[in-house]
Formats: sequence, structure tokens, C-alpha cells
Amino acid sequence: MDDQLAWYVGGPVLGLCVVALRWLLNERLGATRAWADAVAARFGSVHAWLLVGLIFGGVVFGLVASPLDGYGWLTDTFTGGTQWVIVPVLIVSGALIGYGARLASGCTSGNGLSGNAALSPASLVATGTFFGTAIAVSFAIEAVI
Amino acid sequence: MKRFAAFVVGAVFGLTLSWSGMTNPDVLRDGLLFRDAYLMLFFASALGTAFIGMRVLKVLQAKALLTGEPVSWTTVKPERRHVVGSVLFGIGWAVADVCPGPIAAQLGQGVPWALATLVGLVGGLVLFSRRSAVTSG
Repeated sequence: MDDQLAWYVGGPVLGLCVVALRWLLNERLGATRAWADAVAARFGSVHAWLLVGLIFGGVVFGLVASPLDGYGWLTDTFTGGTQWVIVPVLIVSGALIGYGARLASGCTSGNGLSGNAALSPASLVATGTFFGTAIAVSFAIEAVI
Repeated sequence: MKRFAAFVVGAVFGLTLSWSGMTNPDVLRDGLLFRDAYLMLFFASALGTAFIGMRVLKVLQAKALLTGEPVSWTTVKPERRHVVGSVLFGIGWAVADVCPGPIAAQLGQGVPWALATLVGLVGGLVLFSRRSAVTSG
């Protein structure tokens, strides 16, 4: 499993997960909702169980694939004695991800896949905004480092 | 049964995200910098499949298999919060090169850095629910 799954296999499987949750339970698949229900200790929620599944999927992959080597541009940029900087950077990023996605009622899965597939105008606006922002920020980081 | 079904869908989702490299920050970054078309093709094909599948469910007037209720959904009008929230989310996404689904999968894989992202994520979610509790009540 060290070879990346072809996009034309992985993408459709991911899309079918959105359809499956809708068909089985009439629920919107969204990782942010899943996290929010789990953090609020709503363990009766099917969304909290979706999160348990997401973690389990990672466990299965971790058992068969090689572990990540470093952590992208962060471990490439902050090395040796400055590596501690990565911890606060990731904490702040995580907070922006959690707060921002909740405020926007969804992240890449909830708005990006499920909401857009339902042609929800709010999701189209949200997806355009977060893709645009992320592309701009990635180029800004590239210009600075 | 409902929770088990959600667990299975989540597990397939988490495994697919991992196998597609969405838990690898380099894959995300190369996609956002247009160095590699994988991220955009992966996202577009996932969205296309979900769109067609949802249309099929609607045309068939499907009932949810485990609850019996008619499959239906509502759409939402864009508000300021969708833009502001997505800007904040987009910044975090680009810096950490990870979003909420892959954070869960990274934790499952045992990626140590994901613990720091987790601390921030939980903090952000708690802050949001406290703030909305104050505004609404």
C-alpha cells in the first residue's frame, strides 16, 4: 500500500461513501460534524461513530504501509533546535481548522463533497473560499521559505 | 446497526484518504501549489461520483435503508459565516496540509505530529460551541 491509490479509483470510492451514508441513514457525511459530536461526547450520534471509523481506517493503513517520513514543509523548514516551532504552528492551524470549519458548517468533506453534491449554494461559496485561501496561503509560504 | 453502518463508511473513507495520500502533507501541498494534479483530480472525481449518486437516489425516490425515511436534503443560502469560516479553515488547511478527516486517519496511523493538530482542533471546536452558546443564549 506504499503506492498511492490511482485518483480514478480513490476519488470515486470517496464519493460513494457520501452516497452510502445518505442511502443508509439519510445523513450528510462530514468529518467536522463527526469531530464536533465526538468532542461534545454525543456517542449515540452516528457521526461520532463515523469518526471512530475514520480513525480505524487510519489504523488499518498504518499496519500495512510505511510510516510518514517527517511532516512536509514544516519538518523540512524547521530542523534541529528549531523543530519545536512546529508544535505551536500545528496547534494554531488545528484551531483555525476546527473553528473555521464549524463556523462555515463544514470542511472539505461536509461542504466540499457532500454539500456541493447536493448543490447547496453555501457549500459552493465555502468550497471556492477555502480552496482559494489555501492555494494563496500555500504560494505565500512557498515565497517566504 | 446504524452506528455500525456509520463506522464502516468511516473506515472505508479513512482508509481511502490514507491510501490516496491525503494524510501526507507533501501530497496536499503539491496539489495546492499545482505541482501535481492528483489532489484536484481526486477531489473532482469524488465530487462527480457523489453528485451522480445523489441524483440517482433522488430520481429513484429512495428510502434510507436503515431508517426507512425518504432520502432528502435541504440546501443552504450563503451567509457571511460561510466565507469567514472558510478563510480561517483554508489558512489552517494550507499551513498544516491536513483537514479534519485526514487528522483522524493520521491519528489512527500513529503520526506523532497529528497530536499537536488534534489539540488545536479540539480547542477550536470547544471555543466555537462556547461562543455559539453565548450568542444564542
